[in-house]
Amino acid sequence: MGILVNKDSKVIVQGMTGREGASHSRAMKEFGTQVVAGVTPGKGGLDFEGWPIYNSVAEAKEATGANVSIIFVPPAGAADAVLEAAHAAIPLIILITEGVPTVDMMKAVQEVKALDAQSREHGGEGVRLIGGNCPGLVTNGEAKVGIMPNKIYTQPGRIGLISRSGTLTYEAAKLLNDAGMGTSTTVGIGGDPVIGTTFADVLPMFEADDGTDAIVVIGEIGGADEEAAAEYIKGHMKKPVVAFISGRSAPAGKRMGHAGAIIMGNVGTPESKLAAFKDASVPVADTMPEIIDLVKAALHQ
Amino acid sequence: MKLHEYQGKEILRQFGVNVQEGRVAKTPDEVRQIARDYGQSVVVKAQVHVGGRGKAGGVKFSADPDKAFENGEKILGMDIKGLTVNKVLVTRAVDIDAGVEYYIGMIVDRNVQSFTLMASAEGGVDIEEVAAETPEKIVHYRVDPITGLRPYEAREVAIQAGFKGNLNKIADMMVKLSQAALERDAVLVEINPLFVDASGTPIALDTKFEIDDNAMYRHKDLADWREMEAEHPLEIEASKYGFAYVKLDDGNVGVLGNGAGIVMTSLDVVNRAGAKPANFLDIGGGAKAEIVYNAVKLVSKDKDVKAIFINIFGGITRADEVAKGVIQALQDGILTKPVRMRIAGTAEEEAKALLAEVNSPLIQMFPNMFDAAAEAAKEANK
Repeated sequence: MGILVNKDSKVIVQGMTGREGASHSRAMKEFGTQVVAGVTPGKGGLDFEGWPIYNSVAEAKEATGANVSIIFVPPAGAADAVLEAAHAAIPLIILITEGVPTVDMMKAVQEVKALDAQSREHGGEGVRLIGGNCPGLVTNGEAKVGIMPNKIYTQPGRIGLISRSGTLTYEAAKLLNDAGMGTSTTVGIGGDPVIGTTFADVLPMFEADDGTDAIVVIGEIGGADEEAAAEYIKGHMKKPVVAFISGRSAPAGKRMGHAGAIIMGNVGTPESKLAAFKDASVPVADTMPEIIDLVKAALHQ
Repeated sequence: MKLHEYQGKEILRQFGVNVQEGRVAKTPDEVRQIARDYGQSVVVKAQVHVGGRGKAGGVKFSADPDKAFENGEKILGMDIKGLTVNKVLVTRAVDIDAGVEYYIGMIVDRNVQSFTLMASAEGGVDIEEVAAETPEKIVHYRVDPITGLRPYEAREVAIQAGFKGNLNKIADMMVKLSQAALERDAVLVEINPLFVDASGTPIALDTKFEIDDNAMYRHKDLADWREMEAEHPLEIEASKYGFAYVKLDDGNVGVLGNGAGIVMTSLDVVNRAGAKPANFLDIGGGAKAEIVYNAVKLVSKDKDVKAIFINIFGGITRADEVAKGVIQALQDGILTKPVRMRIAGTAEEEAKALLAEVNSPLIQMFPNMFDAAAEAAKEANK
């Protein structure tokens, strides 16, 4: 169970022959993911550690039947890589690359959404982009399409995890793991201002997933994604949701590493996010370990 | 990257925006000469990367060249919120009473996954004040990032905002603003005030322009505009190492970690422990000993820092590499302040062994981030 990826997912890696692409391809394989091929334009025909390399996503899909692509292409070509995968009708595209220009992401996200709508209109599976600047996805015990450390996922469980931050995703996954609860699927949505999939997009998937009992949302300052999530939870979710907000002590006007993590005027303040979650009856943990207590309490209600 | 007013105006001019004429001066004599050349009253404006320069006395109307010289003397060298004014922009003054002041701006808006064009007939004032007090006076419009703003859309927004004057010319300025934002990778670009004179012609009197750092690689022509003196010296040094570093005011604990999220949370934890973080420093993923060494060196240079809190959750980052970097800094005499760290994950045991070997009271390791932060806070508050 879980959402988005599972043991049957067939994954191609765009940028497999690069340093990051290569090491994470190996780690995903170790995890048990079906990594079926790599795409590096100009290196088509190469055998890379047993994986066939193709010149294009379309060729790789044709040859392998891949239905997920993970992208490690450097920033200048990353949005183009997303569009290539989307036009090849890969239903799930995960962009790991950090540092992609925001304007490129605006254009890519808009085009992916148009392709998604077109595909669905014609009875297709649609096209979804996750990220960029994200750690990817893990469905515990089945598949990892991302860069999370394998060893924090020893204990499959029934808690869904969604996060804007990479390292805090690991932190939360490990806490849940060590507390004996474990995760169903982990979704790192990414820390950039313009991303393909938001909290509010993922929540309905967890709500519908039989393998998930409760959801942990790891937010941070900046933007209004947490507020949108709270709004959705209030109107649509029956499963309990627990939240955490990072950067509560950050000053306004300073960008905290993530391009999206900045308080501008009244937008993106922790107060606004806390109020929104309170209004949606979502408990917010003050510290990360408290997440565990709140999840336990929510499940016992 | 933030641009100065004169730089933002230069870009807008390249896109055909009608910008109020002005020239940059670095001495009071140059200010006087520009005023003479213009042969009319001028405004002398400090070029410095902080908000509220007008309130701080950094913008002055000057009726004649001698008055301009005098104002140039006052403003050049002035300190505004900790930054010294080295340059002023001298522009032709306009008779504000003979026209109206509007606001237009393009801003990256994650909620619409594109730029939002904002337009308001309440120009000339801080738009955040308008947004807070009378939000209904600002029109918001999502701009299609692929097509850019089209003239009919611009006219529609101008009408909704209640703009008076030559509708086509004002709409044209909005279209050009959109082009500038998309082609120059703006995070934010504002024209405020957008002055519409008695004949109905729009003129950009002031602008704010900020460019996406991730896109600087394709704007090499603007690289020279990065003003080192306008940033904190430690931030400049950090950028040389490729660190995401932010200097924070009134702090006493240096903070570093691997990943923006964990560092942000580390700041929160230091605050909870009763101390104040002096900086944000993300060493990134997979950092080797040398990077950690440089990070410790950088944070140690900060006079505000009394103790250092290191928070690492190692996935691709190896804990032993972190330990090696810290130990090297200690052995080179760079590290003189207490380091309290939490390192979890890959090669944690190797890191412990290395630290045990060195056995210095300056470096202590803790199993969780709260204990490490509490100890760092205790040291810093001593």
